Parts: sequence; C-alpha cells; structure tokens
Amino acid sequence: MKLYCLSGHPTLPCNVLKFKSTTIMLDCGLDTTSVLNFLPLPLVHSPRLSKLPSWVSKDGTINLEKELKECAGRVFVDSQPEFCLPERELLDLSTVDVILVSNYHCMMALPYITEHTGFTGTVYATEPTLQIGRLLMEELVTFMERVPKAQSATCWKNKEIQRMLPGPLKDAVDVWTWKRSYSMQEVNSALSKVQLVGYSQKVELFGAVQVSPLSSGYSLGSSNWIIQSHHEKVSYVSGSSLLTTHPQPMDQSSLKNSDVLILTGLTQMPTANPDGMLGEFCSNLAMTIRAGGNVLVPCYSSGVIYDLLECLYQFIDNANLGTTPFYFISPVANSSLEFSQIFAEWLCHNKQSKVYLPEPPFPHAELIQTNKLKHYSSIHGDFSSEFRQPCVVFTGHPSLRFGDVVHFMELWGKSSLNTIIFTEPDFSYLDALAPYQPLAMKCVYCPIDTRLNFHQVSKLLKEVQPLHVVCPEQYTQPPQSQAHRSDLMLELHPPPMPYRRCSVLNLPFRRRYERVYILPELANSLVPSEIKPGVSLATVSAVLHSKDNKHTLQSVPKAPPAPPSKKRKRVPEEPPVLLGPKPLLSGAVPLEAFLATLQKHGITEVKVEETADGHILHLQAEDTLIQLEEDGTHIVCDNNEPLRTTLRDLVLRFLQRL
Amino acid sequence: MDADCASLLPGVCAVLAASGRSLPDDTSLEKLLDWFTGLTEAGGSLLEACPCLLEFISTVVLNTAVDPGVLSFALRLTGLMAATEDGYEKLQERSVLDQVFQLQRWREAGLWEDPCLRIGWILGLRSMLQHPKALCFFVQSDFIDPLLQLQTDASLFVASAANQMLAHILLFFQPVPSLGCNGVDKKEEDDDDGTKRASAAYAAALAAISGYLKESLVPKKYTALRQSLQILKLLALLLAAAGPPLCDGLLQTAGDPLEDLVAAGCSQLTLPLMDVLLAACSSSGFNQRVPDQRVGRLLSSMLDVNEPADLLHAAAAFLRRGHHSDVVNTTRAVRILLLPLHIVTGQTLLGTNATADGRRSSAVEQLKCKTSCISMTCVTLTNAPRIALLPLGVLPCAPDLIVTAVLSLLRICSGVSSSSPPGCGEVCRNVIGSGKVQKCALEALTALDGSPGATEKTSEVFTVLMQYLENPDSDPTVLHKSYQAFVKWTGVCTDLSFVTDQLRLDLVELVRRRACDMRWEVRDSTVEFLGQLAGLRASAATTEGTASDALLGARCTTPLLKEALQDAESYVRASAVSALAKSLTHGWQQGAAPSEDEKEIVSRLLEILSQDTEGFPRRAVVQYFASWFSSSASPSSAPLLMRCARSVLSQGSADLDWEVKVHTLELAQLLLDEAFSGHRGYRKVSDAPHPRAAVSELTRAPRASPEGAESDLAAAVELGVVAALLSGLVDCDRPVGLRACRLLMALRDAVCPPGPPDATAAVATVSCELPGGGGWGEEIRKTLGVESGEGGARVSVCEALRSLGLDERLDVLTRSSDHVHNSPLSLLQDILTASAAHTRADTQPGEEVIVDCY
Repeated sequence: MKLYCLSGHPTLPCNVLKFKSTTIMLDCGLDTTSVLNFLPLPLVHSPRLSKLPSWVSKDGTINLEKELKECAGRVFVDSQPEFCLPERELLDLSTVDVILVSNYHCMMALPYITEHTGFTGTVYATEPTLQIGRLLMEELVTFMERVPKAQSATCWKNKEIQRMLPGPLKDAVDVWTWKRSYSMQEVNSALSKVQLVGYSQKVELFGAVQVSPLSSGYSLGSSNWIIQSHHEKVSYVSGSSLLTTHPQPMDQSSLKNSDVLILTGLTQMPTANPDGMLGEFCSNLAMTIRAGGNVLVPCYSSGVIYDLLECLYQFIDNANLGTTPFYFISPVANSSLEFSQIFAEWLCHNKQSKVYLPEPPFPHAELIQTNKLKHYSSIHGDFSSEFRQPCVVFTGHPSLRFGDVVHFMELWGKSSLNTIIFTEPDFSYLDALAPYQPLAMKCVYCPIDTRLNFHQVSKLLKEVQPLHVVCPEQYTQPPQSQAHRSDLMLELHPPPMPYRRCSVLNLPFRRRYERVYILPELANSLVPSEIKPGVSLATVSAVLHSKDNKHTLQSVPKAPPAPPSKKRKRVPEEPPVLLGPKPLLSGAVPLEAFLATLQKHGITEVKVEETADGHILHLQAEDTLIQLEEDGTHIVCDNNEPLRTTLRDLVLRFLQRL
Repeated sequence: MDADCASLLPGVCAVLAASGRSLPDDTSLEKLLDWFTGLTEAGGSLLEACPCLLEFISTVVLNTAVDPGVLSFALRLTGLMAATEDGYEKLQERSVLDQVFQLQRWREAGLWEDPCLRIGWILGLRSMLQHPKALCFFVQSDFIDPLLQLQTDASLFVASAANQMLAHILLFFQPVPSLGCNGVDKKEEDDDDGTKRASAAYAAALAAISGYLKESLVPKKYTALRQSLQILKLLALLLAAAGPPLCDGLLQTAGDPLEDLVAAGCSQLTLPLMDVLLAACSSSGFNQRVPDQRVGRLLSSMLDVNEPADLLHAAAAFLRRGHHSDVVNTTRAVRILLLPLHIVTGQTLLGTNATADGRRSSAVEQLKCKTSCISMTCVTLTNAPRIALLPLGVLPCAPDLIVTAVLSLLRICSGVSSSSPPGCGEVCRNVIGSGKVQKCALEALTALDGSPGATEKTSEVFTVLMQYLENPDSDPTVLHKSYQAFVKWTGVCTDLSFVTDQLRLDLVELVRRRACDMRWEVRDSTVEFLGQLAGLRASAATTEGTASDALLGARCTTPLLKEALQDAESYVRASAVSALAKSLTHGWQQGAAPSEDEKEIVSRLLEILSQDTEGFPRRAVVQYFASWFSSSASPSSAPLLMRCARSVLSQGSADLDWEVKVHTLELAQLLLDEAFSGHRGYRKVSDAPHPRAAVSELTRAPRASPEGAESDLAAAVELGVVAALLSGLVDCDRPVGLRACRLLMALRDAVCPPGPPDATAAVATVSCELPGGGGWGEEIRKTLGVESGEGGARVSVCEALRSLGLDERLDVLTRSSDHVHNSPLSLLQDILTASAAHTRADTQPGEEVIVDCY
C-alpha cells in the first residue's frame, strides 16, 4: 500500500492512495498562495497600479520591464495570476481510478487533473460540494476572464533570472509548473465526471474496496472518507470541525479501528480560537462603523460568510448598527445565498428543524428581506447606483489579487477611517496587502478557521485509535513562529508518518488476509475434525475462481465422461489427474509414551538429549536419530528403509490426521 | 404566652398526637419549636405555662404509630423543657425522661432506623444538657456509647449533630474553676453530693470519649476513614475551645494515634489533621505556655509529607492560620507553597539549588498531570499575596520576584511566553489557556499591588494586562479580572513615567473596541472599568497628574460612555450611567458649570428615566442625580441640577420599580438635608448615612428656626419633595413607605414641632397640591379626611404632617410585612385549620384541599 503526496499544502491536500488494485486520489486542492506574487487585477483602470515602476536589478543587468513591477519595496509579476498545481510528474494521472473530494475548497484543481491528463475515472463528491465547488470555480473563472491580460510573463521564470530576483519571488518553487486559470468549458467537463454520493453511502470500487463519505462538520456537504476492504481500513480525514456551525456535525465513531488514518486539513490558525475571532470581527466592525468608516471583508463566497452573516444578524441590533447597509458582491452571490438555504439535509440539526417551520434555515434570508443585506454580481450595474456609505462589503477574492475587492482596496485604502478585516485564513494578510502599500486604512486580522485544532485532534485520535497516522510534516513540529508551543503539534505513539510534496510513503501495514467465498455445496462436503476444543479443521479441494476482485471456491468439476461419439477425435488433453492430497498431521509426540512404544518394538537403547526446540532420541543400537521438535519430526537413518518406515508409523500413531 | 395561644395549644397538641400527617407544611414543627425556644430563653417555664405539653409528650411517646416527625418533635420538646433544673426535676418525677430517651424502646419499635428520630434524640439531649443533673442522667443512662456510634451515622446530619453534641458535653462541663459558671466542680455548698456525682459523671464521659478517640482515631482499614475524619473534626472542635487541663488531657490521649496518622500520610486526612494540629498549637500554646513539643514535631512532619498536593494543602492551611512566630515552619511552608510557581515559571523563587531534588522531582511529576497542575498552581497563587507580605527573613526571595513569577505565569497561560523553563514544557502545556489559572493569577496580581517592591514592576504589569485585554480569546471573567487588576495597579502607581504614549494609544484603542464587544459582559466590564478609572481621578488627593488621568482622559471616556447609554443590554446602560457619574464627579466637586456635553447627557438620562423598559438603568439614573447633588459644592445654586431634581422626583416617585422609588427618596432626603439641616429640630434620618451628611452638619451653623422654615418648606413643596414623600408614604412597597415615613417625620419635627400653633403659624400657610384621579393624592385625602374636589385639593403641609398619624404608620411599617402570618397564633390556627380540612377531606374523598400557609 503506497501513498503518493502531490501537494505539500496541509489544508489543500492532493494524495494518491494505491490500495489493493485501486488507485484513489484523495482531494485535489489548488494552492492559490502563488497569486500573491502577482499584481492585482483592477476592475477599473487604476492609475496607481499602472504607474508602478518596473523592476531593474541593482546592477541594471536584468530588466524585465514588461514583467516585473515594484511596489513599496517588493517586486510583483505583472501578468495574469497563476496557481501552483498538484505535482503531475510523480505518477501517471491517467492511472487514477477515482477521485474522492472531501469539501469544495479541496477540489479547485479538479479541471487540471481530469482534463488533458488522460484521466478516465470517476469523481465522487456530495451534492453541496459539487454545487458550491462549481460556484467557486465559476467565480474564479469570471474574476480572471473579466479582466483579460494580453501578455503572460514567462521570462522571470528562467532559473538564472529567478535566482537574481529579490524574495519572495526568488524562493518560489516549481514556478514552471504554475498555470493560469482554467476555462469554464474545462470546469464543465471536469464536473461532468462527478458522481454524487450521500453520507454513509457505500460505493464499491471494482469489488476490491469500498469507499464511503462521512460528515466532517466543516462545511456544507464536507466529508471524510473511509476506504476499506474486508480486512483493512484506511480513514481519510480532511477539513473537519467539531464546532457547532451550520453543517451537520462530524461523524467520529465511524473512524474507529482504522489501520491507517491519513490526517490533513487541521486549522491553519491553531492559536486563534474561532469564537474569539468572531468577537473581534464584530467589535472591530462596530467600532469602524460608529466612527463613520467603511468595513471591507475579503472572503470566499461560501463557507464562513454564512456564519459571519448569522453572527451579524444577532449583533447589529445589539450594536445599534440597524441602518448600516451590508453588501455581498460576487458573480455567484445570489446562488451562494440561495443554495445554502436548500441543502437542508446537509445542515446541522438546529437548522434542519427550521425547514419544518415557515422560516429559512439561515437568517441571511431575513437580512435580505429587510434590505439590510444586499447582494450584487459585481460593482458594475445596480450596485453603483444603490451604494451608500458607511457600509460593510463582503467580497472576494481573499488574496486581494483579483475580484471586486481590488476596487474597494483602491477606493478605501487611503482613509484611516476605513477598516479591512481579514477572516479567511488561507493568505498571510501582510502579503495580501503588499501591493497596496502604503495604506492608511486600518487592518485587522481575525482569521476564522473552524477546522480541528491540535487539542481536538489529539482527543479524537485517542478515541478512534488508529494503528498508524500519516500527516503533513507541518503537523509534527510546532509552528515556526512559536517554537516553544509543544502543544501545537501532534504527539502520538507510534509517532505519525510525516509527508511532504512529492513524498511516496510505504504505508506500514501488510495485507495478511483476503476474503474467499465458498459455495454451499462445497461447504456441505467438508468434514471438519476438531483439533482442539473449539477449533476444527477440514481440508478442501476446490477451484479458486477470481473475478472482479472476488474470490470463490468452487467444486472441482468432475472429468466429463467420454463423449458418446463414435467419431474418433484427437484425444483432448486429459485434465490433470487430481491426486488426493496427503493428509495433514497435527498434534505432538509425547516423549514418555513414545519411548515406551519403542521399547515394545524392541528398541531399548535410547539416549534422550534435550534441545532448545524439543528432544533428540539417539537409537544407539540402530545408529539412528529421531529429532522431535514442535513443528517437525525427522528420522535420520541411513540405508534402513524398513526401520524408517516402522519408526514413521510409530510416530504417526501419536498424531492426528485430517 | 398570650391567652389566645394558650387556649389553642391543647387543641394543637391533640392534633399532633392524633397524627402528624395533616400538618399545613413541613416547617410547622420547626416553627413551633422556635417559638417554644424563644419562650424558654425569655425565662418562661413551658411546663407551667402549658401543662398540656407534658400530657402531649406522655401520650405521644407511648404511641409508636405516630409520625416519626412528630416523635422527633416530642423528643426535642422534652429536651427543651428539661433544660432547666426545675423542669428536669418535674419531668423526672413523672419519669418522662426515661420514657422519652430510652433507646431500647425506639429500637424495638423499629423507629430508630428513621434518621429523623435519631436527630431528634440527639438534639433533645443536647438541649437538656445545660446543667449537671442532666449530665448525670445522661451518663447513668449509658447514652455515651450510642452517641459515639452515631458519630459515624449514615446520615450526615445525624453524624454532625452527634459530633457537636460530644464536643458540647466535654466543653460545657469542663472543670475550669476560674472560668466558672458551667464547670461541674463549681462550688455549691448545699449540693455537695450532687457536685461529686456530676464530677464523676463528667469523668466517666471524658474517659469514654478519650478511650474512643484513642481506639478509633487511626483507621483499622480504609473503610473506617470516615470515622477518623469525624474524630479529627471533633478533636479540632474540642481543641479550639478547650481550657488547658482538658486540652492537655486530650493531646495526651490523642498524641500517639495522631503520630500514627501523620506517619500514615493519608491524603484525605491531611486537611483535618492540619486543623487539629493548628488548633492544638493555638490553644495549648505557642503563645502562652511552653510549646507542646510533640505538636510542633507533628506539624513539622506534616510539612514534610511526600505527596506534593497534600504537602501544599498542609502548608496553605499552616499559613492561613497565621502561626508566623514559628519561623522554622513558616519558612518551610512558604518554600512548599512557592515550589509549583518556581517550577512552572522557571523563576528562581527558591534559589538555584535550594530545593531537595526529591521533592522537586515528585512535584514535577505531579504537575505533569493537568488537573493536579491546575489545582496546585491555584493554591500557590491564592497564597502568593499573603506570602509576599511576610517578613523578609522567612522569604526565600525578594517579594517583587513573586510578582515577576505571577506575571511570567500569566504570560505562559496566554501562550505568549517565548520560552518555557528547561524540562518543563510538559508542565507549561497544562496551564496554557487554562481560564482557572488565569483568573487565579489575575486575582493574585490584583492583591499583590501593595507588596513591597511592587511598584518597580508597574510597567511590566501593564504590559501583561494589556496582552490579556487585547487577547480575543480571553473569557469575559478573565477580562473583568484584568480590568480590576488594571484599576488597582493604576491606583497605587505614583510614577507616571510608565504611561508611555504607546500604552495610552493602545488602551484607548482597546477600550473603544471592547466597548463594541459582542458579549455584553465584556461591554459591561469595560464601561465599569472606565468608571472606576475615572473614580480614581475623583478620589485622588491631588487635582492633577494622576495615573488614571494620564491613561484615559475624559475626552476618550465620555463619548464611549455616552454611546454605551444606548446599549441593547440594560446592565450595560446602568453601568454606563454609574460610570458617567463617577467620571463627572471631579467636575461637580470643583463646581464647574455644566458643559454642553453634560447637558446632553442629562437630557439623555432623563429620557432613560422616563422611557427605559428595564429597572437597572432607571435606578442608576436616579443615583446619578443623587450623587451629583451630594458631590456638588453648592447644589442649590446649580440651576440645571435643581431643574433635573424636580423631574427626577416626579418621575422617580411614579416609577413602577420600588428600588427606583427608594433611590428617589434618597434624593429627596438629600434635598431635605440641604434645606433643613440648619433648623433646630431637624434630625437626619440616619439609616442611610450619606457621605455628605456629616460634612454639612459641621459646616453649617444652625439657623434660627422657624423664620426660615416657611420659605424652605415652600421651596421643598415647589421642588416636589413633599409630593414625592407623600406618594411614597402610601406606596404599597414597605421599604418605600418606611423611608418616606421617616423622612416625613423628620420634616414634621423640623417645620412644625409640637408646641403652640402660633409659633408655627407662618409655616402652616404653606400648602401642597394633592392630585385627584385615584392615585396617591386620593389615598392621602382619604387619610386626612379632606373632601375630594373635581381636580386636586390643596392642604396645609403642616396639618397634613400632623394628622397623617406618622408615628402609628411607622410602627406598622417597621414590622415585617408578614408579621401577622408569622405569629405563633397564626401558626397554631394554621395547624388546626389544616387538621380540620384534612378530616373533611377524609370524609369527602376526591375533594382536593389546598392549604396556603403563607
């Protein structure tokens, strides 16, 4: 059993598991942090961005005037942003049989995997994962295609040149593999390969293994996966949460008794408690609005935003913010808000029960009805005429490199009254803000990551007790910035097996058993004999029939009677003569009784020697040795076959035959 | 006992004797006993006053079918009646006592199983044992052994009562000639024989109890632990109150077993053992007499047990009892208590190599377990402030190092500490994020503000506190405690150099954000903090340069507090009102003219008073004006204040919340004090002393009365003070009525003292309006017998004050509102009624009888 690790990002994993005869890809997350190296894509012409000076190396030898721009001491690539894809050279992606997706954030690389690689398999995902994943991809494509950039910068990727660039461009890895965004057509093609599954639904893969998604409590339709054969069980834990937010709670008990547990997607902010951050978010928001400023919340169009809106729904009256408008701007804003309301069966119990009442599960419906929350597909159109300040704007993309958020950064960045509140944990806020410096706007970092923290995961692992844990190497040591916090790492016995990008792990367990079926008539013919109380054995002669990874023992077909044809035919090859197998022996030879028997048969001069495994009997007169050991008996006697046979028969008297 | 009760009592006795089931409620018997106890204590003889009781007891104890509750009552009643020698003898004559307390009978009847009866037996005997004869009876009846058995009774109440009783016997009758009144060997010439007998009885009791102590103190097996625990409690009770001979005897008896117990080192017994040893120390005398070396030695051994948690508790107990003259043990206790802090924080509180490695390593082991780590650290922290105040001689380090250690612990707890002491990572991990340790440490820090050398640490303290206040994960109670610590340390801070611009900016930013927090508790603490900080400014002796001023000026505070007046949570609004009062007090004291800001606040406050749906903010508003009035240098010359006072009085006295009304009357009182304190005859109502009251008395020379009275009274009427008082007088809430009545009496004594009416003729012309329409005006008019007109009516204030019957009203109001229902007569009637109803209900099944006994 092997695990190929195609992504080094702990929360955007992409691993391939070879298990029995199947090749299963676990998630295909897209590492978008690479876009931080690019200049933002403004929606409206930005004089500031267009006037940025080109970067020239100190000695003036490198001048990529068209490709690299300098802003506040940092260098950015002026090109369509590119993403860091999962590794595609480690194994042939066309051999992947299935892709299991655990949540909509972990499927963003899907088109890169399923298209143009020869992939012919199936993708399994829950319905909300598919639908919201589609929205996020659609949003990404719209963000990119809305502001097309003619040129694509490639010169800077030249190894010689990259070496000369200032950090962090200099340290960016695998830049040649970075790719521009996919197209809508590729998205549609990729998603057409998705087959929907429900929680705990069991899907057979080629009869060899069974996969089944479990609720993971992180987002709508998010799942962990169980991959099991009859005798082995592998659990794949991706983004999971034990907090009571909107999704169905996490199913922990089904993870019990795993041979291997692959653990990914823990919180990226182990020291930031989501409740505390939510509180900070609200108080900073209120403080800014009271002072007459605007609040910008860069966020994804699905996920934590539902919880933020729900929290604000309760908070705005308390904080006297009743008249402040909230805007949600995204090409998929409307769909996202509406989708969330219709996936009732995927919601937590509390919200599910609301479906039976005449009220929608999420309170943002009421915010929309009362005109407190308005949503627009972009800043163009209705929004520009209805826009009123001070206000709160939720918009993407959280990297601040593309999407409507770029416009608001340009618009509000200059006033210290305004505040930008980061809630998505995927990007370093300082890096995200780098191309907007100098910035007067207040910045608040309240990353809300509801995924499991180390404390919770230790408890979980204690409970489910997997034999082996595999996890990204980042989880086996404290975070770099807090090297003394030994509580912020996994400490397990045996220690977890760490992986990094491009690792290939031999998972530390051998398959020892296989299930074989036996046909009823064959079973009827067995004659078991009891070898010790409660244990009976029988020998079976049968034909092993293997098909679709199912093994069946069938009766040995009788040799067909000679065909009653007069015509002489060439005698077909006789079926191999099936000799009855020699009977199997069991039991042990008791020394005293055996010596007595020998004596009866006239063998009296026996010297007994004790060895580590048993005894050696030296029949001195006959010059013969009998070695009695736990698992074997040897009679060494030269050129005296009758004696050997006699001795053999004497030994056999004490043994059981099957 | 009045005649009514005496006549009802036989009936009640009959009811009780018949069956206890029909009692109105289960407290009736207790109430009856309370009443009887009261009568006995007042010196009455129950036997003489109600002979029916004796009859009752004799009947009841013979009838084992009676409810055990009633039997228990009978036992206790018997004890009460035998509490005097006289009563005892009368009962003995009729051999009632033997009948009542004889155990055998109760056991045979199977009633002894009922804890109710057992406790009745104990308490009955306990009441009786007030004289030597009772003791003789007790000993002769061989009650001592059963009592000792009851000490480990399954019922905790019985066991505890038995323990108390054992202690009572030995202490009450202990032979202390000098102390004298209870001792069995007090000289009574006429009853020498009796004395001897009593002495013998006491000796027998003492011997039995001592024997028991000696025998059972050390548990034979683990299950007997409870017995040891009970005996230790008994010993502690005895040693704490015993005179020297008894004490010495007890220590002699218990010495060996105590030594065995100490040596056994049983965790559960550590604290009770410490209690006994410390009680022994206090009584037998480190202070007065030659120290009992054995006790000292045992105490030392207790401070040397192996189990770190027990050791810590023992040391804490030692320090709490304050035997600080015992330098050796105090030093040892201090070192024990500081050890966990030393380990967790890595601060060298105990020197670098001072602690025996064995103890340190066992403590480290214990600290690796999360629960014991938290509890041990908390014990250390709770004791840290006390330790820091100990004389330098017993401290292993400078006291300011303790502050440093607490700060360091706080940093570790919040996870911001950049390093953990070598080898203690596992220990540190246990306290990271622990709210309990955080709270304990913050409490310790708050209490450490006065420790020697603490002021050196101010800047560090503020840094840590700011980290806590900034931390989004801090629990509301942790934030609250951080605020408290902040205020406390600001109060002691005299050197302003630590108030850096950065700190000021951070604090301003912080309180702004916290004032918008999602959790109302946090908003409330923040608002309260702003008020307290401003309060420091007002109470400071100097007018300029206080730390609180330097940190947060009014320019930052007031807008936040104004905002908080609109908060959705009523507690926060109330806190904001109080905080505003505190922040403005300084200005009021200076007599500054109200700013525009203040005028705006005032109108908002009046709005709250008239419109807020919750009581807390309205109460706070009335208090705001009261505090304005009392801090103001010359309130009557502040027109805004006087205008406000008028509307507060009219709105506050019409409020639905009785506390608002009481606070309104407090304001009325201030106004009265201001107007009339110079008048002869005006006495301040003292039950609510006001800080200003004392000052005004000293500064004002008494004015000649009554010439000024007329105008002052007219002014009071004009302001609405009199109307507020009159409406309060007829209020349905007793506290309001009571206060109003007292104030009206004070007013009456000032403006129309009893005497020839012509002396007060001028005052009599002052009249006030009684509004019509069914309110308080109507009520007052009825009392005064004034014809009710179309609208209101005007009455002379003086006349009203004279004819309202204030003295009689005060009488009624001072009695508790349920005095009628709580009277013995009512109780007796209730019992009879309930019994009657019960009988009726028996005859008419199906008809439910609901008895309301209140």
